[in-house]
Amino acid sequence: MKGIGKNIWRYRYGYLFILPTMILLCIFNYYPAFSGLYHSLFDWAVGGESKFIGLRNFIEIISDKNFHASVINVAKLTIWNLLVPTLIVPIFVAELIYNLHSQRAKYIYRVLVITPMVIPGIVNLLIWQFIYDADYGLLNAILKSIGLGHLSRSWLGDPNTALYAIMAMGFPWIGGTTVLIYLAGLMNIPASVFDAALIDGVVGLKRFFSIDLPLITSQIKLNIILSLIGTIQGYGTMLVLTGGGPGTSTLVPGLYMYQAAFNYGRMGFASAVGVLLFLVILILTIINMRYISSPAEYEAQ
Amino acid sequence: MNNLRFLTKTGDLYRHILLIILIGLMLFPYGITFIISGKSIPQFYDAPFKITLPFYWSNYKEAWEEIKFYLRNSIIVSGFSVIGVVVMSVLSAYAFARYKFPGREVLYYLVISLLMIPGVLTLIPSFMLVKYLGLLNTRWALFLPYISGGQVFAIFILRSFFASIPTDYFDAARIDGASELQILRHVTLPLSWSIIGVVAVMNVLGTWNDLIWPLVTLQDTRLYTLTVGLYNFRNSYYTVWGPLMAGYIIGSIPLIILFIFTSKLFVEGLASGAIKM
Repeated sequence: MKGIGKNIWRYRYGYLFILPTMILLCIFNYYPAFSGLYHSLFDWAVGGESKFIGLRNFIEIISDKNFHASVINVAKLTIWNLLVPTLIVPIFVAELIYNLHSQRAKYIYRVLVITPMVIPGIVNLLIWQFIYDADYGLLNAILKSIGLGHLSRSWLGDPNTALYAIMAMGFPWIGGTTVLIYLAGLMNIPASVFDAALIDGVVGLKRFFSIDLPLITSQIKLNIILSLIGTIQGYGTMLVLTGGGPGTSTLVPGLYMYQAAFNYGRMGFASAVGVLLFLVILILTIINMRYISSPAEYEAQ
Repeated sequence: MNNLRFLTKTGDLYRHILLIILIGLMLFPYGITFIISGKSIPQFYDAPFKITLPFYWSNYKEAWEEIKFYLRNSIIVSGFSVIGVVVMSVLSAYAFARYKFPGREVLYYLVISLLMIPGVLTLIPSFMLVKYLGLLNTRWALFLPYISGGQVFAIFILRSFFASIPTDYFDAARIDGASELQILRHVTLPLSWSIIGVVAVMNVLGTWNDLIWPLVTLQDTRLYTLTVGLYNFRNSYYTVWGPLMAGYIIGSIPLIILFIFTSKLFVEGLASGAIKM
């Protein structure tokens, strides 16, 4: 016992320095995570009283039609987000910037692509809400001016278009952070690789598919994970713009959880939705890390 | 860049044109927002998307009166939180990087494992926790979870940086009789300001933009942060487009100013996700 005490005293600065961090984390991070797992098995009221009900929350969620609708919506959003704003456009933009000769121009474009990041997210949402506005919106005005006025509508208020309108937000889907991560990957490829490719006559698209793309696999994985996590648990956009409607046309699981908790006061049920989302994210992350192979992964740093 | 010679000067021209078109489309909505922010009501109904003169500045005055308190609240919340995050994560990351105390690895991985815990899992129990603690509708409901949660990523980034500083620096200081806190202050910090800046900027970006947590924990409009405030402002000014757009622009100014002075940190910080893997 004396030995341990002596050890702790010897490393007192180490323990002292991490003490505030650990105390806060225990209260505000570890406790809620365990509390969420635990209370997913309970009927938990806003007042705090709870009653054990086993897996009944999960059974109810899985058999709820609205939840099914939300899963289908989030699946569509996920596929779209992975393809366009995570892979196609940002890789294209990163290649455009990377292949410029002027270092100065590269830097300027790098700064420009992240400018939307400094506009508060809520402002971006509300500007898009205006673009889609039925009466005064920019989109309808553009359609009218090119003779397609008959297409105009309340884009977010029409169940046939609401989800697609949400997907189209952020056009042209450059995604500043995503581009920067790809660029970091491209810049880490040693110049000798490109020299060798040039000597072998591997240029243009051939170079892109045989060198650039395989060598940024780890950045692609990272962006896929970030996009998956963001899309699967995200619902801020729908909360602000549509409330999941009209009907369930833009309902997503995160919003389903939010509404269960803050509209109906069903904290245990909402926790169960949170647990399900957590498990899905965890499984997808593991699959992504392990099974999306990287034949020629170049380990940066 | 000689090795890229096959990409001709003309190739560069195409790249510039494509990039300018794409970035132009990306920024277009902000241009429209600015144009509308300078329109009186008749000007808007007359020509909603064209520049109309005179620029109607009183929209800005009107919007400012509405959102100045929200701005102040956000500055307090993000400012206080970022200070807490930096102080606590510097101390912890330094300890994790420099002291080989028993249990160090386990504790570090316990901290880092929190990066895998998504917000959806903890939102409801965190809400119940701050409610139980009686913090609902106070700024503490924001400060404490923001500081606690913000540390994790900060510790992760700072620890790897501190670990990369050569030990010679610390040994030399120790031989000269410097105390642990003096070493931290006079050796570590001067070498680390730019990475600390990155961490701080990322943290401010996160708390400044957060909508859902302040939305569920604050009821008193006088405590509203900018995001909740703008949401609220939109509801009360719906279809009064001029002041509404002016409000969006005023609400964006603080981060734009931060961005102008720290754009290098932004570029580094946003790409720093790449170190994660």
